[in-house]
Amino acid sequence: MFLHPELGVEPVVAALAQQGFVAGPALSLRRTLLDTFDGRLHGAGLRLELREASSPPQALVLAGAGPASAPVAVTRPPRFGADLPQGPLRARLAPVLEVRALLPVVSVTARRRVALRRDRLGKVVATATVYDQVAVDQPGPAAAGAGPRWVVEVDELAGYAKAAQQARVVLGSLGLDTRETDLLALAAEAAGVDLRGRTSSPTIMLDHGEPALDAFRRVLANLADEIDANRDGAAGHVDAEFLHDLRVAVRRTRSVLAQSKRVVPPEVRDRFRDGFGWLGAATGPARDLDVYVMEWDSYVAPLGAEVTGALAPLVDHLADRRRREHDALAMLLGSARYHDLMDAWHLWLRDPVDSDAAGAEASTPIARVATRRIAAANDRLVTRGRGIGPGTPAEELHELRKDAKKLRYLLECFGALAPQGERKAFVQRLKSLQDNLGEHQDTEVHAAQLRAMSHELHDSGRAGAETLVAMGQLAGEFERRRTKARAEFAERFAVYDTAKTRGALDALLAAASRPARASTSTSR
Amino acid sequence: MKVLATYSIKGGVGKTTAAVNLAQQAASQGARVLVWDLDPQGAATFFFRVKPKLKGGTQRLVSGKGELAAHVRATDLPGLHLVPADFSLRHLDLHLDGRSRPTERLASLLDAVAGTYDVAVLDCPPSISLASESVFEATDELLVPVIPTTLSSRTLGQLSGFLAARPGPVVVPGILPYLSMVDRRKRLHRDLVDSLRAEWPDMLATVIPAASVIERMGPERAPVATFAASSPAARAFAELWAEVAARLWG
Repeated sequence: MFLHPELGVEPVVAALAQQGFVAGPALSLRRTLLDTFDGRLHGAGLRLELREASSPPQALVLAGAGPASAPVAVTRPPRFGADLPQGPLRARLAPVLEVRALLPVVSVTARRRVALRRDRLGKVVATATVYDQVAVDQPGPAAAGAGPRWVVEVDELAGYAKAAQQARVVLGSLGLDTRETDLLALAAEAAGVDLRGRTSSPTIMLDHGEPALDAFRRVLANLADEIDANRDGAAGHVDAEFLHDLRVAVRRTRSVLAQSKRVVPPEVRDRFRDGFGWLGAATGPARDLDVYVMEWDSYVAPLGAEVTGALAPLVDHLADRRRREHDALAMLLGSARYHDLMDAWHLWLRDPVDSDAAGAEASTPIARVATRRIAAANDRLVTRGRGIGPGTPAEELHELRKDAKKLRYLLECFGALAPQGERKAFVQRLKSLQDNLGEHQDTEVHAAQLRAMSHELHDSGRAGAETLVAMGQLAGEFERRRTKARAEFAERFAVYDTAKTRGALDALLAAASRPARASTSTSR
Repeated sequence: MKVLATYSIKGGVGKTTAAVNLAQQAASQGARVLVWDLDPQGAATFFFRVKPKLKGGTQRLVSGKGELAAHVRATDLPGLHLVPADFSLRHLDLHLDGRSRPTERLASLLDAVAGTYDVAVLDCPPSISLASESVFEATDELLVPVIPTTLSSRTLGQLSGFLAARPGPVVVPGILPYLSMVDRRKRLHRDLVDSLRAEWPDMLATVIPAASVIERMGPERAPVATFAASSPAARAFAELWAEVAARLWG
């Protein structure tokens, strides 16, 4: 790409004309880069662009490996992969997007002229696109009006490299600035937008000798940022991942606070554990219904078309409840209680802690505190698991699931003390057990919810006998899955409760105690 | 990447016009399309205004050193690339025959660009030969134009029988026959369309008309939709592509 902060664009157009380029008409165009909140398309090497002009009014262009697509007219910008027309665009985008929504990342308006150079057969051999009157529409942290006034992009066409190279030499000879980028990337840079999107990790870099209180506060501050970052998207129900990520950050916060005895002042720990406990519980119903709706097809797949058809009133009921729960969630995330909680939390994370109020281990190196807590969490998990037999009440498996989650969160939040290899080896073993416990509890919860909803639908007269019978069959399917998970538990736990797992944990703890081999995993 | 081939044992039935127009339709829907002109006559190459020349000729391309990507040319249509024809393609059978697994060569050349394109459209010369077998091995679906003549059914039957009888554990491409060059003003054509449909119930619903606008592709050197977007022929190719796309991505 060529540009210059002072020269005008017309001498450039004239130079291209001398090279045999014939410019088409100048047309106003607005280009908007679309991507998910977490920059999935960028990460996959894809660039999806919405072009708005007079004709067609709106079109999508997808670029990545191979040739960029032709503009595909759309009646409105797609929000999800399923909104794209059936065909190659959807086939490429939907698996990358999954449940995430497409959002505008940066927009630029400009006047666009396409200049073509043809060979004697009339074949286009080089394309130069001239953008002038450029304005970046979505200024971020950068100053308004930032960005170039005009740019020229020379496209190299497959098989015709020489013609593009000749054009570049001519433009270079005019003393223009050369940039290895394009207009949208330049606009993003001018607007202060990171094309990688927001990616987050609970695992931050930790110094082994760092006082435990400082390390806990940095871990908790990272989680607080994650809650903040997902708040608007969760409140606006942009996509289900915002609420999911917010809730995970809340659960991790509670879990880290629970592990902060003798580090974080007790009144702080109790106050915010309560506060985040409230937030976790209050955001649960909306998430449960998100899962119900997103997983619906897999839930009903074993039931057949006739039974699934009879569940239509339940589908409507779920959609209605989901809407209401998300309305309530939006209120909650805009409420004074929410803001008071987060403001107070940020205040505590930011301000110095009175050394008298801090716990007895506040100054102990984090490596020592974290490894002890991880070992203790695993001991609790193993002890409880060994006590579970075929006749043990389901509640005990639910408690075991909580134990496993606490251990997992500790590993995620303080795992950077150990190299990734050691972490991965242990977490894989833990994850297999967690999957089993998750399936057991989730199917039980779903079956209970279904029974409650069946009463609601019956009492309101919105479901006939056929629907209620079908709901019974769906509940039976959940019960079948729960029973299967319960039957598999003993085997899964036996695999976990082995010398090999203990060895993997010991290796992890030993590595976490050695500062020389500290990991450098970071969040952005 | 989905691989289509416009193929017929018989010549002059609209293979190349179908390849060019369906490729244009696919590209206009956002697909990254590669047309591979395997016909030494180079008609598809001509329609895209590209010089019919493979550097090193067919021999180099089908040799172990050959790469399809090195021969790709951009066309004037966004999203649509072409591997041009070369007169040396008349010896394609000969060059394939010198290889250890001749029928796998085209497939392996296409595999190397599978991440770069959504669809490859192979425009094949009329014959049944070693080159055709290599096409069958590389192709997901064969698009077979059927013109309204009494012998068309027999030709389609020959192809179908040949594919069914191929020995060994080979993957047989699907056959998508469609009616081509139909002049609905002719009673004979209308009758033959009805009888061909009755005989081949899997025939695609779209009928490509015999239209002067398709003949104009020669002087225009472009697919119909680029110079006569609202013509019945352009609409027919759009509908034919919609049917094919439904099979590929439905």
